[in-house]
Amino acid sequence: MSYFDRALIVITVVGILTGLVGTFVVLRKRVLFAQALTHATFPGAVIGILLGFSMQLGAVVACALIVGTITLIGRITPGGAGAASGVLLAGGFAAGALAQAFGSSVPVDMTALLFGSVLSVSTTDGVLAAIALVLTLLALVFAGKHVVYAMFDPEGYRGLGYEPAAMDALLMVLTTITVVVTMPAVGAILTIALIAAPAAAARALTARLGVMLAIAPTLSVASGVLGLLLSREFSVSAGASIALVATALLGVALIAGRWMPRRLRGEVVA
Amino acid sequence: MITLDLLLHFWTMPFMVRAVIVLVTLGITAGIVGVFVNLRGFEFLTDGLTHAVFPGIAAGVAFAGSGGLFWGAAIAAAAATVFLSLLARRGVSSDAAVAVVLVAMFSVGVLIVSRSDDAAGQLEQLLFGRLFTVSLTEVVVTAIISVLAIATVLLTVRAQVMTAFDRDAARAAGYRVTLVDLSLNVAIALVVVSASIAVGNLLVIAFLIVPGALARVWARRLTSLFAIALSFAVLAGLAGLAGAFTISVGLDIPIPPGAAIAAVFVASYLLALLLFVIVRRPKAGGMG
Repeated sequence: MSYFDRALIVITVVGILTGLVGTFVVLRKRVLFAQALTHATFPGAVIGILLGFSMQLGAVVACALIVGTITLIGRITPGGAGAASGVLLAGGFAAGALAQAFGSSVPVDMTALLFGSVLSVSTTDGVLAAIALVLTLLALVFAGKHVVYAMFDPEGYRGLGYEPAAMDALLMVLTTITVVVTMPAVGAILTIALIAAPAAAARALTARLGVMLAIAPTLSVASGVLGLLLSREFSVSAGASIALVATALLGVALIAGRWMPRRLRGEVVA
Repeated sequence: MITLDLLLHFWTMPFMVRAVIVLVTLGITAGIVGVFVNLRGFEFLTDGLTHAVFPGIAAGVAFAGSGGLFWGAAIAAAAATVFLSLLARRGVSSDAAVAVVLVAMFSVGVLIVSRSDDAAGQLEQLLFGRLFTVSLTEVVVTAIISVLAIATVLLTVRAQVMTAFDRDAARAAGYRVTLVDLSLNVAIALVVVSASIAVGNLLVIAFLIVPGALARVWARRLTSLFAIALSFAVLAGLAGLAGAFTISVGLDIPIPPGAAIAAVFVASYLLALLLFVIVRRPKAGGMG
């Protein structure tokens, strides 16, 4: 398999994943949180590489730490989780740069971590992404209805004897997994584009959750593949091209959404 | 010991003097603007703005050398603030749309840099800053832009505070909230531009977010909010600089000073929170 074929496969898997999880992230308005996570993967990956184990493992540990800290700070301080996320955004970049400086004996490709290098992803990266996709699909098949109920009517969900916070936690875990396996392909900074743009585009085109869950992954895969081809054609950064294609598709969707008859979009869900 | 000796002669080296001046300027500016970032809950937007200014910085450097940095950044910042305000006006306040647009602008910057010869090295400098090699002209430009940023928020201080605590009441009282938002956006963008050379595009966010957040933990009234944020930003900046200098020269590990400073900022914030939890001061009235 050539490196380009491998890149196409990985970007397709990652596209489906970000489209699915992104839909929930956008509807639950957790984009800032997801963005903090993407930034947190950066120091985690640097440290993971420096210590000689996989960058995904380092990234998962860093994400877990960040999620824990944000939750904790959000509870104890005035200013809340927004400020906490912001502070940790900054901390993530600083920690990454410092770790790289201290471990300069091991070469770490900073630009690859920040902006992705989908052409040099390994088979392991691809396998991890595929596992993440399977896990996410299983979670959505078995707990999808709960996630949706808890999201749109937390009080009603609590009334049935369930805990809405548990579904928030599940969504957090899925977001973390998605961010971590997407990062090798499009980088710590640009991952948020693949999570937010296709889902926001889908939201503009339809009000039905089921349709959104079909449109968002399709658009995300399309952004990945198209961006990859464009980056090869013009020999520019692949991660940046993918992010830009995703944005362009969102723009088209926003315009198309305004012209579409309401009947086609279905009724309002949110 | 060589390190101590060097630290004591910190001031005699011209490049260190320039670094100190830049840091004090940025500390004062970011302390003042940061309070509003925190009060208005603009953290997310600030992160986005730093990304949005990046293509301007990249294009400026690519097409006009390092002198083009400020101009490119200023143009990008202006475009981004206008665009954000338009989005807010049209009711597209969806955080997803904002995040995507700003990351897209960042991607444009990456594309520009990825076409140049020494892409990796240039990118790193733009992202993490080069505090030790700031020129005298750059010091002056930083100071001018900082003054503009401070003036922008101080001229609108009453409206900002009013809008922060009750947006509807502010509107009812006759303030034009969109303009108030726009002026804070402009101030934030100015800080991003002025800090680009010294601490780099990714670490500016520490300057803009941490002082306000830290002050918010302890302060009980508006004036002490400013006092804490401002003095913290200046002191922590200098402490980070001293740390970076000691490690770079003493231990011969070249760490980016911007990263050391951001690390000091974030570590102090966590420490301040910890202290707060231990001491458990009652929450400030009206600020919680």
